[in-house]
Amino acid sequence: MWKGGGRMKSECSSVSRLLEKYFDQEVTPEERSLVEDHLSDCSACRDALKSMENLTTLIKSPVEEAVEKETFPWVWEKVEKGIQRKERPGLWDFLKSWLDVTPFLKRKILIPAVAAAAIVILITAPLLFKKTTSYPTLSVVKYVESETYNVMIYELGTPQVTVIWLFEGPEEESSTS
Amino acid sequence: MDVNEAQLISRCQQGDQDALKEIFNQYHQKVYRIAYGVVRQREEALDIVQEVFIKLYRSIHQFRGKSQFYTYLYRMAMNTAIDHTRKMKRVPPLSMDEEGGLQLSDDAERRPDRILDHKELEEKVKWAMDQLSPDQKAALIFREVEGLSYQEIAEATGSSIGTVMSRLHYGRKKVQELLKDYVEGGR
Repeated sequence: MWKGGGRMKSECSSVSRLLEKYFDQEVTPEERSLVEDHLSDCSACRDALKSMENLTTLIKSPVEEAVEKETFPWVWEKVEKGIQRKERPGLWDFLKSWLDVTPFLKRKILIPAVAAAAIVILITAPLLFKKTTSYPTLSVVKYVESETYNVMIYELGTPQVTVIWLFEGPEEESSTS
Repeated sequence: MDVNEAQLISRCQQGDQDALKEIFNQYHQKVYRIAYGVVRQREEALDIVQEVFIKLYRSIHQFRGKSQFYTYLYRMAMNTAIDHTRKMKRVPPLSMDEEGGLQLSDDAERRPDRILDHKELEEKVKWAMDQLSPDQKAALIFREVEGLSYQEIAEATGSSIGTVMSRLHYGRKKVQELLKDYVEGGR
């Protein structure tokens, strides 16, 4: 395996696992000497280590430069202003604060209010859920045939309505039968 | 945590703003380093510092002293900075071509005093770091910028040492790959 221009040796694979820990100074003294022995005659692992150092420099240097230059203008003043400004409560906090009243208010206002709301719901709920039919029930009460006129009397459901239907002559069907 | 710091925290928990100022004086540079490491932009980093100390004042009563105070603060700084980048996500000012070459925006091309080399490199590093997951980025910044140990990173990120090592390994690998022209040793 080639990495950074040097040829990796067979023992590199076992040391490379320790290389990152070595770089981060997280190895035991035994591991340190093992890695250092290996590094002394392995250019590939030395290159790998160098790559890690270069990466650290790339990531860290701009941050160091920025911190050195920074004067932190007005930052503390803005923090002070920020902590004095009241935090806007969220919806849940608002509800909690609204419900979190003193025991006196709870007894005198909250409990009667909840009870009143429950009573209103109990009264109105049956009305809201009452079944209403879109079409009134229709029933024929009487049907009278004569030679000249036929009469049919209907009755509708609530409100009760009676319909008397008068029509001419015998029905065709009855005449054919 | 030393006695002075414990007292300072306790005063701050009781709403003492002078105590907060002392904490600010002690830690604002470190918070700025973390913020700048994530956003790599001065004004945004300063905004983050401000936001972190306001948040700290409002939530310090939740700190029970089970972890080190600085890891608690660093975690807050890192989370705030990462949230900031999520909120501020916009069209990147530059992108890489297929070979990893830098493509400047039209505005940058037109500028007579064109960007200095190290400025371009900084943009490239920012671009590479932005390709990492937030967890990898946090681990890498804590390690490379702040020099925290694996144990400290684990405490600051609320994860195990094994997870920290894995995030560092894959994070480094990815950034090294993206910036191979600049990091490869033996050149």
